[in-house]
Amino acid sequence: MFPSPGLMAQSLLDGIFLGFLYSLMALGLSLVFGVMGIINFAHGDFIMLGSYLVWLIANSVRTDPSLVSIVTVPLFFVVGAAIYTIIIRPVFGKEPLIQIAVTVGVGYVLQNTALMFFRAEPRAVQSTALNLYIGLGPVNIHAAKLVTALLSSVIVIGVHYLLTKTWVGLTIRATAYDREVATLMGINVNKVYLLVFGLGIALTALAASLWMTFGQANPYIGTSFGLLTWVIIALGGLGGVSGLLASSLIVGVMQSLTMTLASPTISLTVPYLVFLVVLWFRPQGLFGRRE
Amino acid sequence: MSNALLELVNIEAGYGVFRVLHNVSFKVCEGEVVALVGPNGAGKTTALKTVMGLTSLFKGDIKFNGSKINNVPPYERVKQGIVLVPEGRGIFAPLTVLENLYVGAYNEEARRRLSESLEMVFSIFPKLKERKNQIAGTLSGGESQMLAIGRALMSRPRILLLDEPSLGLAPKIVSELFEIFKKLNEEWKTTLLLVEQHVKNSLEISHRAYVMESGRIVLEGESSEVLKDERLRKAYLII
Repeated sequence: MFPSPGLMAQSLLDGIFLGFLYSLMALGLSLVFGVMGIINFAHGDFIMLGSYLVWLIANSVRTDPSLVSIVTVPLFFVVGAAIYTIIIRPVFGKEPLIQIAVTVGVGYVLQNTALMFFRAEPRAVQSTALNLYIGLGPVNIHAAKLVTALLSSVIVIGVHYLLTKTWVGLTIRATAYDREVATLMGINVNKVYLLVFGLGIALTALAASLWMTFGQANPYIGTSFGLLTWVIIALGGLGGVSGLLASSLIVGVMQSLTMTLASPTISLTVPYLVFLVVLWFRPQGLFGRRE
Repeated sequence: MSNALLELVNIEAGYGVFRVLHNVSFKVCEGEVVALVGPNGAGKTTALKTVMGLTSLFKGDIKFNGSKINNVPPYERVKQGIVLVPEGRGIFAPLTVLENLYVGAYNEEARRRLSESLEMVFSIFPKLKERKNQIAGTLSGGESQMLAIGRALMSRPRILLLDEPSLGLAPKIVSELFEIFKKLNEEWKTTLLLVEQHVKNSLEISHRAYVMESGRIVLEGESSEVLKDERLRKAYLII
């Protein structure tokens, strides 16, 4: 039994919406890795904790999850800057294993904090203004997902603009390429790292509040989003924003289609299968340059 | 000589716990070209890095413009007007030529004078203007060295430190480069501290010189005098 074209179109559209959100989720991870060379293993757990925080605030003041980001984004920037200063900076330039250990440690702290305060129950925001459907021919557009996709793409393109067209972005790119020479140009590289790490974490708060307009928070989404975003940036091959967007959309669409054609359980393994196959043929990623 | 712009007094410095420089003192006055020459491993690069604050300083003082800068972080020293063109040029390869120059003008004061500085750099290095939108990684060796110097000039330095600028360049380009140093000093009034292996060229364009060996200053004086030194002439085969 083959699904109807309408169902396929619906699935494709949902996949595209999801893909844009994935690109926003992966953006902070990509930025931190690209500039600082650090794989932040706690990245997904920030999305998880952010989601719980959104649930808590949105339900207690009865507002839309997307609006909660006005509070959580600056808060997460400060948290990110503090974690950089207290935890990352002391091990910066040390062996990769130590850097991995500290970010894994931060991830565990976040997970257990969530378990302690929110227990292992899945939570969803009760009232969201965006929970309505717009019929368009054979497909129904979920307003929450549409807004999520639009905002995500605006932010991803905005960060691209920041990196390529502004002084701050130029400073970040110069530091990413050669921190010692950047210092010789008068750049305080520590300030750059603080900004980048803070921004990387702040972006997870935004992704989390968009996720909560239609998704659920549970303590394990941290691990799955963490892996998923890592797969996305490895697939994109650190080829900048275009690579990130393309690989996010591929993963989102593939996941959504398998959910429709096969089962939700199998769809969870799809990103990793795509990942294995692609890296088998193109180890530098889809859009990466071979070094 | 007039009062010193940059002065190192009895410096002991190195990396980690290793001392490379032993009791090194030298000075550079405003408007001067000073050459720092010596064999490989003599500590010339370390001396420049020490001026920038990139080494461990164990003893002695670094003074700039009359005040002690021992504890001033490297990026602040750049702001005060000390700029190093590092060995190997340190071009930001993925950035365009123009973007590289912009990074050079990072500090506020330099940013205010951006267009004026850009015009100056393009008039000294017309090649850079032709290639301003090119990715810097695609430049030839000579062009990247010019970009590295141009980028340093963008920050409007009071003193420019050059570490082996002629390394790996063709002889014709090397003489062009030395002409540019002369011009920078005479026309643009830039103070230069030049570390070089082309000893003869360096001594010919500089006012004063210091010769380093095994982390110590072994000879110093007016460049014309240093050039006459028998030992030096033998060591560097200047005939």
